[in-house]
Amino acid sequence: MKAPKPLFAGLFVALLAVITLPAMADVTLPTIDDKYVSVQEINPTRDAGYVVGDKLERTIILTVRKPYELIKESLPIVGYEHRFRGQVSGIELASIDAEEEKFSDRSVHTIHLVYQVFKSGRVAKPAVLRGEIVKLRLPGKTEMRQYRIPSFNFRISPLSVYGEVNLKNELSPFIPPFTISTTREQQVFKIAAGVLALSLLGLLYILGARTWLPRMGGAFAKAYRKIGKLPDNEQGSQQAIEMVHQALQQVAGHSVFGNNVERFLQEKPAYQAARPEIERFFNLSRQVFFDAKTPLDLGMPTRDWLRKFCRHMRDCERGLTPEVK
Amino acid sequence: MQDQQLADWRTQALKLESEVNKVVVGQENPVRLITIAVFARGHVLLEGDVGVGKTTLLRAFTRGIGGGYQRIEGTIDLMPNDLVYHTYLGEDGKPHVSPGPLLMSGQDLSIFFFNEINRARPQVHSLMLRVMAERTLTAFNKEHYFPHMLVFADRNQVEKEETFDIPSAARDRFMMEIPIVVPPAHDIMESLIFDTRFHDVDQLITNVEQDILKFDQLNSFAKVIQENISASPALRKYALNLWLATKDPVAYGIKVANVDMKRLVLSGASPRGMGMLLRAARVNAWLHNREAVVPEDIHAVLHETIAHRLVFSPVYEMRRTEIAREMLSGIVNAVTAP
Repeated sequence: MKAPKPLFAGLFVALLAVITLPAMADVTLPTIDDKYVSVQEINPTRDAGYVVGDKLERTIILTVRKPYELIKESLPIVGYEHRFRGQVSGIELASIDAEEEKFSDRSVHTIHLVYQVFKSGRVAKPAVLRGEIVKLRLPGKTEMRQYRIPSFNFRISPLSVYGEVNLKNELSPFIPPFTISTTREQQVFKIAAGVLALSLLGLLYILGARTWLPRMGGAFAKAYRKIGKLPDNEQGSQQAIEMVHQALQQVAGHSVFGNNVERFLQEKPAYQAARPEIERFFNLSRQVFFDAKTPLDLGMPTRDWLRKFCRHMRDCERGLTPEVK
Repeated sequence: MQDQQLADWRTQALKLESEVNKVVVGQENPVRLITIAVFARGHVLLEGDVGVGKTTLLRAFTRGIGGGYQRIEGTIDLMPNDLVYHTYLGEDGKPHVSPGPLLMSGQDLSIFFFNEINRARPQVHSLMLRVMAERTLTAFNKEHYFPHMLVFADRNQVEKEETFDIPSAARDRFMMEIPIVVPPAHDIMESLIFDTRFHDVDQLITNVEQDILKFDQLNSFAKVIQENISASPALRKYALNLWLATKDPVAYGIKVANVDMKRLVLSGASPRGMGMLLRAARVNAWLHNREAVVPEDIHAVLHETIAHRLVFSPVYEMRRTEIAREMLSGIVNAVTAP
């Protein structure tokens, strides 16, 4: 007995449908034009050092312009694990959360994806959060388009290494270096920077004021140094006296003469200890420049006495008490 | 020989000061300055209030140096001839002429005091300035000489009505302008009120020893001082800088409070003024027993010999005493020596 033809035909169609329906689900659709879709990714901050059990969070902000709309059913489902050449990838979607915001000309889909690593190995290996494919359609029409979200590459590290390991073989460019504590170095660096800054400030001070310390480099200190370089003759003595006069004037802020020494000492009491020598200096100046018959006995050569006088005045300048006899 | 002469005269000069200081108390500085003017042979302007003892001071000096003392009061109706002669009708009913204050002492006139000179008219000033400069006067068909005369003139600085201010050119003829103020010490002030010896000036003056100096030798001795007291190159340079500073105080960085220094000075010290400054400074050095002038000698007489010569913009004339003092102090502070 032969089976009727229509029955065979029906069976054939039914068989064909059973075979081809799953295939139709995986069929590659035409890619949508880029002008209708744009994507913004917020990927994990590091791309290496993940071990089994770690979760990677990724946010995709997908903007779909009208007239297209996203087919929400095309979004990946929790538990789905990609395969590559029949092998499971070991990266599983742990959760998905999608929000939609509609505008007049577009709709914005914010998709939060959490993947979990279910894979480990003896060495670091590359892995990928596969680019998910979402589908879009025109409302009221059956025509569909697809869009591939960009993938994210990262590396999976081993949990631990057992037995002897040949580091040369095990070194992998995908393994980030172990972090070493740099706290001490940072402290040392800060201290060094502080010392450098202080040194620069000191240098600036020295260059600006030409003094090593606040009370150094005063008028009499300079005069003391300059007098030492003058020749030991009459002309040198005259120049030395002029220098001391200039120093006195610089300190006082006005001309100082023999008849206003008292005023000078009232204005600058730090020099009070040197009063006898100051008066002697004016007698010396008077003898050299104005009245050669002014009686004066210095007890030593003029230049030596002037140097000694300047040293004493320099001491006063620095807030010290000179040993004036 | 001259050293001995200088020493002897110095002793006498210091004695004169001491004698005058006995009767005019609390005026040591003006007494020293007048002593300097006497030996530098320079006329003097006196500045001070009424009744501070100017006349007493001059009479005491005259008694000490000898010679005649004459005085005249400046009034608005004073005429030049009033200085020279008086006319009057005698008992015989005939007109008579007697010599005025200038001629009364003849050549022995030592000190002539013109009180309140700015009350007299300019023609009187003119005659007086000529006599001061030339020490001669033509009157009664005769040339009269006053070789030993020093003029002391008082300016009333308080009252300005019916006065004729002395122009700068006339002021320049005076060697010094000496301020005479009431001594600030309370014991001296009390003494001036209660000490009866100050009440009778004629009697007071007799306390000064007479003729300590010889007035008719002062001119020749003044030359001795000027010739024997030297000025070193450093001092000459210093004096020159002081002079330049009076002419252009801005260049020396001199400032006076509330004064536009660029507009202040119309004319600085004159060559005559600087000459007088050095003459006075030499006398000061001699009085201090020095043979050379030092900057301190210049400082001792700077204000009194220079301040009245400075010519300021009219806008500052009312404050001239204060401004001149501050400016000259600034000059002393700014100009260095050596």
